[in-house]
Amino acid sequence: MLDRIDSLPTVEIAGFKVRPGKPLPFGVSHFPNGLNFSIYTSAGTSCTLVLFRRGELEPFAEIDFPAAFRIGDVYCMVVFDLDYEDLEYGFRIDGPFDPSRGHRFDRNAILMDPYSRLISGRDVWGVQPDWENQKYHYRSRVSFDDFDWEGDRPLEKKPEDLIIYETHVRGFTKSETAGVKHPGTYAGLVEKIPYLKSLGVTAIELMPIFEFDEFENARIHPHTGEQLYNYWGYSTLGFFAPKAAFAATGGFGMQVDELKQMVKQLHAADIEVILDVVFNHTAEGNEHGPTLCFKGLDNRVYYMLTPEGYYFNFSGTGNTLNCNNPVVRSLVLDCLRYWASEYHIDGFRFDLATILGRDPWGAPLSNPPLLESLAFDPILSSCKLIAEAWDAGGLYQVGSFPAFGRWGEWNGRYRDCARRFLKGDAAQVGEMAQRLQGSPDLYQASGRSPATSVNFFTCHDGFTLADLVSFNGKHNYANGEDNRDGGDDNHSWNCGAEGWSDDPAVLALRQRQMMNAFAILLCSRGVPLFVMGDEFGRSQHGNNNAYCIDSDLTWVNWDLLQSNQSLQQFVAALIDFRKRHPALRVNNFLDSACALGLPSASFHGPSPWRPDWSSESRQLAWMFCADQPDSHLGVDVVYVIANMAHRASWFECPALPDGLSWKLAFNTGDPSGAILSAEQPMDNQGLLVGERSVIILTT
Amino acid sequence: MALELSSAISSQWKVISVVGQVDSKSSNDLRDYLQAEVNGAHAVALELSQVPFMSSAGLRTLLTLYRQTQSLGVPLALVGLQTPIVDTMKITGFYQHFTVYASLEELP
Repeated sequence: MLDRIDSLPTVEIAGFKVRPGKPLPFGVSHFPNGLNFSIYTSAGTSCTLVLFRRGELEPFAEIDFPAAFRIGDVYCMVVFDLDYEDLEYGFRIDGPFDPSRGHRFDRNAILMDPYSRLISGRDVWGVQPDWENQKYHYRSRVSFDDFDWEGDRPLEKKPEDLIIYETHVRGFTKSETAGVKHPGTYAGLVEKIPYLKSLGVTAIELMPIFEFDEFENARIHPHTGEQLYNYWGYSTLGFFAPKAAFAATGGFGMQVDELKQMVKQLHAADIEVILDVVFNHTAEGNEHGPTLCFKGLDNRVYYMLTPEGYYFNFSGTGNTLNCNNPVVRSLVLDCLRYWASEYHIDGFRFDLATILGRDPWGAPLSNPPLLESLAFDPILSSCKLIAEAWDAGGLYQVGSFPAFGRWGEWNGRYRDCARRFLKGDAAQVGEMAQRLQGSPDLYQASGRSPATSVNFFTCHDGFTLADLVSFNGKHNYANGEDNRDGGDDNHSWNCGAEGWSDDPAVLALRQRQMMNAFAILLCSRGVPLFVMGDEFGRSQHGNNNAYCIDSDLTWVNWDLLQSNQSLQQFVAALIDFRKRHPALRVNNFLDSACALGLPSASFHGPSPWRPDWSSESRQLAWMFCADQPDSHLGVDVVYVIANMAHRASWFECPALPDGLSWKLAFNTGDPSGAILSAEQPMDNQGLLVGERSVIILTT
Repeated sequence: MALELSSAISSQWKVISVVGQVDSKSSNDLRDYLQAEVNGAHAVALELSQVPFMSSAGLRTLLTLYRQTQSLGVPLALVGLQTPIVDTMKITGFYQHFTVYASLEELP
């Protein structure tokens, strides 16, 4: 083979052989006999590459980029003969420190590469770093990108077929009760794939796995002395690097391979992987925060700044990433393309996504270029894009998020209405009818579909389902903020006693309410989502904001799978039911009748075709119909009766065409068991629906 | 630290013994040695009981060897892998490609 001309150095600097590099791709890339480093700064005046051997406090080399190695605003250089597995690198950038003009350059700071695909420094969870002597905490490394996928690719499931299970990688298997070999890691999650498969969920949504520092804002609880962490991880250090401490092999720097292996195994089990991504802010905080990367690279480009040079704080965490700056937009796009192509990620859920639609001064854009770019990107074209369509700056866009026909939304209105309906609040029935159909009031006029709506009662943020039916108010003392943190609009009801209770009537009602919630959720059109452990009643003891707790309070207690087996079996059976009934997964709002002449969606009360929309009504029945995809199977019909009133009622079922009859599938009010396995035929045309119970019928 | 590499023929197997840590500093030596020794005339057994650690680069050398033996149409066996390496290989997806034996006596 011929040697390439560019496989040889042209210059020697500080004892290192180098040559002018290539500006693209940004970051570090492999080059014949060397590594290509490329870094952007528009206002920086000079740049130095700083090289460390792995874990060492002092660099072994600092190489100034010659002026001739700059193209536009990009410094790029190839350095030859580096042992890249043992290498950590960073940059120093010189430039003005003039905050009123937005500049915060600091040549003393060693900056992480914003395109780092591998970051060391927090390799093992909770191991205290050398706070005294370490000058460069989060260290860019060079990753191997040559994983053997063996034919795997993203699953590209239809959105309406998703059933999303929201998971924290560490919390899912960290507890001893998980019984896994590698607790709290990607590898530990792989060990639980058979469980996920038996539960039947079709997608797993991982809370942040981009590298973050669990010690960011870490503190000791003032009363209990417990170490509090940045446990949830909604504070990104590196957008391209997986969290090392979530990998059993993080100590060896093999988190990239371990995470890819996890995705490959989940795909083999037919489960999609969705990442919760945080692009609204970074871990650098405001003017009092550390200079780690963007702040020292080009503060004015990467952050939204006030005219005086202070940080806008639409995220509630100190700074706001300037997402609609063209350079930042490219970074976000590069990042998502990387995860989709290199990690085979199936979809993304964007934390506080309305920030992504704000202009550099914070005003919401009508046609945000970033959201549009993502929606029409060729590499992301089959990725799910899901917005948390609100932010901490008061912008609430559920129903109006700029979707470009592509974006789904976490439907906060579903959560609020369904919770209130569940606890028996007045005046919910009318809105509930909208939520059950996939919220046409929010999405139909703009041409969106039911699967736009990610429906949920619970997620990581707020009560777990068990706590939703066990607490009237939050109990967040464990967070060390005197119970001031966390939301108060929980729409929860404790079923008669606050918190722990041994009253059998209270416990039975809570159990029924959890089943009712799952029955409503899984019989709604749209995409159902629930949080890990809800299917067997995981509790956080009333803590509705456990972002800083890394303990048994937040880790899944797998013993509950045994002690609350009946709930788990109920959820698994409901998921199976949802998969067998296309009427529940219709993904259009057309009110067309099916082959039987029945409407796609219809609403009823104790008398068929006569729903009681009055504000005193707490009862609603709905019938969903769809032609089976295979026409000789006929028509799929599901009838759900939700009686959220505190009294039992007789419900007459709608008459069916000749040859069809109602069969009971589930009854949360049946004390002998909610799953009616044989789908019993009904003797007559009506039935008694118990207080606060849901009955599901099919034909 | 340099690797100690040696090879011997044992019935249909060419047994290649490795002593030392396989990482980015030593993996090139291993790769060059394997390229010279593996030629399709024998099945290949890589004896690794004296390898205490394999880095990313080391595991990648194994996978390259696997692809090489595949294209030559000869079997490949890994012999005497230490437990922590087995564990890392399983977690990161390398293990599934290989046929593994605890000791040379177990080779068929």
